[in-house]
Amino acid sequence: MDAHDLTAAYALDALAPDEAEAYERHLSQCEECREQLAELNETATALAFATVAPAPPARLRASILDAAAAERTNVVPLLRRRWVARGLAVAAAAAACIAVGLAVSLSQSSQPTVTASVVLDPNGTATLHISGLSAAPSGKTYEAWVIPKGGSPRPAGLFPGGGSTTVRLRGTVPRNAVVAVTRERAGGASTPTPPVLFSTPT
Amino acid sequence: MNRQLAHLSDEALVALAARSEQSALAELYDRYGRTAYGLALRVLRDQTLAEDAVQEAFLTVWRTASRFMPERGKASTWILTLVHRRAVDAVRREQRRRADSLDQAAEPAVEGAEEDAFLHLQRERVQAALRHLPDAQREALELAYYGGFTQSELAERLGQPLGTIKSRMFGGLSRMRELLGEPGTETSWTPTT
Repeated sequence: MDAHDLTAAYALDALAPDEAEAYERHLSQCEECREQLAELNETATALAFATVAPAPPARLRASILDAAAAERTNVVPLLRRRWVARGLAVAAAAAACIAVGLAVSLSQSSQPTVTASVVLDPNGTATLHISGLSAAPSGKTYEAWVIPKGGSPRPAGLFPGGGSTTVRLRGTVPRNAVVAVTRERAGGASTPTPPVLFSTPT
Repeated sequence: MNRQLAHLSDEALVALAARSEQSALAELYDRYGRTAYGLALRVLRDQTLAEDAVQEAFLTVWRTASRFMPERGKASTWILTLVHRRAVDAVRREQRRRADSLDQAAEPAVEGAEEDAFLHLQRERVQAALRHLPDAQREALELAYYGGFTQSELAERLGQPLGTIKSRMFGGLSRMRELLGEPGTETSWTPTT
């Protein structure tokens, strides 16, 4: 079968499954077809813009985003922590609280639209993604912490917040560590100042 | 609606989606979801099936964003190709294929938010290009792309040799490409600022 003349049909999705597979095998060997396909794909896609439809229902957008959030297995969502009034000696016990993940604090200003997540690479490097966090007030900054299981919080990066932020966390994040975020004085701190605004679940 | 990422290119959004930035996926949906849905609905003639096709396509974008290569083509082409494939697979599976040409199909009432001016312009441009094609080429493109027919099925349906169908498809797409290549023809998102 001469596969070169299948490019247009492939671009239009007008091949039967076995023909499409055969063409794809050919494609992996044929630079010319790959180039031609790239062009024809674009043209075929123009046909998508010739359609007219009512706006899709709002539930579709929500459904997609919910499913996407649920699917990311290497993404750990950060949860807002709530105050459990325990009268803890905050300063001294802060490190211990965070390390064992006791619910620690109610955010002073409610920020209902914040979403945050930590993405872990297989080799242990991690990035923190936060959206909707209002910018830290003047003289303050946000600080991320990595708290190894049974260990003390370690500073992992400063960021000003505001809009969407991506923070590459310093150092590696071992398994079972907790990632937390607090607000600190500009320049950061060496131990976290409660309240913990967000942390990964333990 | 929060459009903080409106200034980024489609490709930048895909890169962000590859890093699990969900707002990037949301922005891509806000750009192309309506077109995707319109396409799926045109092929499938069923709202639920169309929604499923669009959802599966965008989740594939989410899952495979790290494998997208900008050198291979535009992000918008990639996304809409995913939608089209899903829709065609579903229409074949559900035995729902119909042979109405584009202008015979009753246009559904456009409810809700007004159509984006950009989309409206694109639609006019592509429809104009289609009208410029010889009938046989336009028919081949429409039956294949919107109808979900394979080239062999078209050959049989139209009583033509397979080679004729192939050249109509190739000729039609090539001519469309020329017509749409006129200056000012953009089919990807252009930031408005």
